[in-house]
Amino acid sequence: MSRLYMIYSALVAGGLAVSSITGWSPFTPYDEVKGVPKSVRNNPGAYRSHYAGYARYLGGK
Amino acid sequence: MNPAGPRKGFVPKAKALNCPNCGSQIELRALGAAASVICRYCSSTIDASHPQLRVIAQWQAAMTVEPVIPLGSRGKLQGVLWEAIGFQQRGITVDGTNYFWREYVLWNPYHGFRYLSEYNNHWNFVTPLQTLPQNTTANAMPGVRLGNTGYRHFQTARAYTWFVIGEFPWMVQVGEAVDAADYVAPPKMLSSETSDNEVTWSESEYLPGAAIWQAFGLKTPCPPPAGVFANQPSPYAGRVAGIWKFYGLVCAGLLAMMLFFAITARRQQALDQKFVVQGGRAAGERSFVTEVFPLEGKEDNVAVRINADVANRWVFLSMALINEETGQAYDFGQEVSYYTGRDSDGDWSEGSRSEEVLLPGIPGGRYYLRVEPETDAAQAGPIPVRIRVVRGLPYNLRYFLGMLLVLIPPVWVSIRSAAFEAKRWGESDYAGGSSGSEDGE
Repeated sequence: MSRLYMIYSALVAGGLAVSSITGWSPFTPYDEVKGVPKSVRNNPGAYRSHYAGYARYLGGK
Repeated sequence: MNPAGPRKGFVPKAKALNCPNCGSQIELRALGAAASVICRYCSSTIDASHPQLRVIAQWQAAMTVEPVIPLGSRGKLQGVLWEAIGFQQRGITVDGTNYFWREYVLWNPYHGFRYLSEYNNHWNFVTPLQTLPQNTTANAMPGVRLGNTGYRHFQTARAYTWFVIGEFPWMVQVGEAVDAADYVAPPKMLSSETSDNEVTWSESEYLPGAAIWQAFGLKTPCPPPAGVFANQPSPYAGRVAGIWKFYGLVCAGLLAMMLFFAITARRQQALDQKFVVQGGRAAGERSFVTEVFPLEGKEDNVAVRINADVANRWVFLSMALINEETGQAYDFGQEVSYYTGRDSDGDWSEGSRSEEVLLPGIPGGRYYLRVEPETDAAQAGPIPVRIRVVRGLPYNLRYFLGMLLVLIPPVWVSIRSAAFEAKRWGESDYAGGSSGSEDGE
């Protein structure tokens, strides 16, 4: 049994434990934007999400 | 190779004599034990047991081979000091091609004769057997058993002696032919040699070339072995079963971790809000914000679950999860669409009224959602929508991905091991496309 494999397995298990605790994932379905003004709460139209206006499925068989 | 041990009452001595054919000096190292000696100058085979060294046969050397281990040199193998006293090159012919290997006669006055064989720089220490192995048939393959070890048949071939020099414990001659059969259980190998009047068995143990070089103090560079030899120990032997066993333990551990985190997951219901999206060409700003809600903990995932009562239409939500205190926003979008109908194939449906977006690694804090809904302008009528935000959901898929990651080394080792064995058995009588018993080394 290779010690290298033990270390590799421990790293994978450790990474999974950390990602379970922090909720981290390499796949993020969002874009991060910093410095959104507080005025957005009073005027939601003042902020446009990156996803606004995205093409979408128009449905139907 | 004929088994021969030291004779009772044998006193080791070396004697310098002259070849009765050419007169050259011959040194007899295993005097009284060797049956024949081959003159290195005229290639005559001389009866070493005859007082006047009678010439038995004379032949013209078809080839001259220089032994890698000079005759007369001594080396310690398996705790015993051996002297190389004889050398022969043997070979088989397959499809018109000659395959040669070399054998050295080793002599120690207290331990008798042993042999070293070498093929493509794979070495074996060979001991004559005093007991007969038992024939077996394991896994429909012929084999033999000696003690507790089973050996699988590897190959049988007609082997010829092409070149000899030095002393031998039997009357060796160029052109001598035997039927040689090998049975392997790496690093061991049993070999039988059948001639007209006898069958001899020997046991070989694989040795790396470096051990030979070190033992005999050879000054030339030790060449690396080529290919895989019949009884060469696999570098993966014993590792395959071990690594799969460890993999099983790792999987059990990962499943236990998954269970633990599934049980202890936070599952904080942070927001549950309903609203209505107006269809058609609604005037004014459609976007709105939810109430502020706390997300507990330092960092964790956030699931945004959307239920929209859509029927043959869609609604798309452009959303931003915004930290009220820091202004950090996480932009994402999700469509909810559901279509049903009926055609020649019968009833059909596509999409779902419920969707979920999992946002990983969101720091704790006070957040709100900015939601900007869109829908088909051509379809009027309200769409009831419910948004729920849940903090800290277990995400079990990652553990199965982890199992796949940990699976890579066992699969890799298994493939390499199988490739090594395929190379080994590719040289045997059982290789794919083998033409039978003439295949050999």
